[in-house]
Amino acid sequence: MIGNDIVDLALARKESNWQRNRFLDKIFTKNEQQMILNDANPEIMVWNLWSRKEAAYKIYNRETGIRGFFPLQLECFYENGTLGTVSIRGKTYFTQSKIENDSIYTIAVVEKEYFKKIKSINPAVKILKKNGIPFTIDCNSKIEKPVSITNHGRFWEGITLLD
Amino acid sequence: MNKEQTIEELKNIVKPYIQNQEAFDGLTEDTDFINDLKINSANLVDVILDIEEKYDIVIDNEAMERMVNVKAAMEIIENKLSEKNS
Repeated sequence: MIGNDIVDLALARKESNWQRNRFLDKIFTKNEQQMILNDANPEIMVWNLWSRKEAAYKIYNRETGIRGFFPLQLECFYENGTLGTVSIRGKTYFTQSKIENDSIYTIAVVEKEYFKKIKSINPAVKILKKNGIPFTIDCNSKIEKPVSITNHGRFWEGITLLD
Repeated sequence: MNKEQTIEELKNIVKPYIQNQEAFDGLTEDTDFINDLKINSANLVDVILDIEEKYDIVIDNEAMERMVNVKAAMEIIENKLSEKNS
């Protein structure tokens, strides 16, 4: 199981005002808010944590079939700017984030070893959806393969797990 | 307050955040904020804050969790308003 999420920082700046009254309260725990406000660059921390929550939610949604908006329950444990975990209702997912070219990109996995098996998918490949969850069909074997896709502003990323 | 009026008010609230005009024009109770209107999930927070401000209500975490479509939003507004006025 995998999930990914990308934030185009230029677009985020335009679309969202994270300094809006109560905005942080709705999506970040007290600990996370502390981390944001104590950081030298709070804006980057907001979107770094947010992309981790979103990537982890994609796995959770896939594993449980539960759909909803509960960002506060997806709690980030921040190891450093790149690594961490996100926990929700007794489950813990591993995250790897990358900040580059005015974007923040996070991949979440169920097992740490899966990070080595992540493969990008071709944007041209046909993406199908079942209950809102994306997959592709291998043209030779006809086997369904779960994928995770994310798109924001100038960026698109699609990933799958190698067998 | 009647249903049609609430839907109209809700349309005005979500309008700045939608990314699918067609789904917005044909908005019904079954319209999904993310899948249909393509509202960015970070902007869903703004929708929730805008609703709180407009109706002077507090949407708790439990209610927020269900806030993924028009129907749920309408029920939540109705419930919170009646709690407030009781």
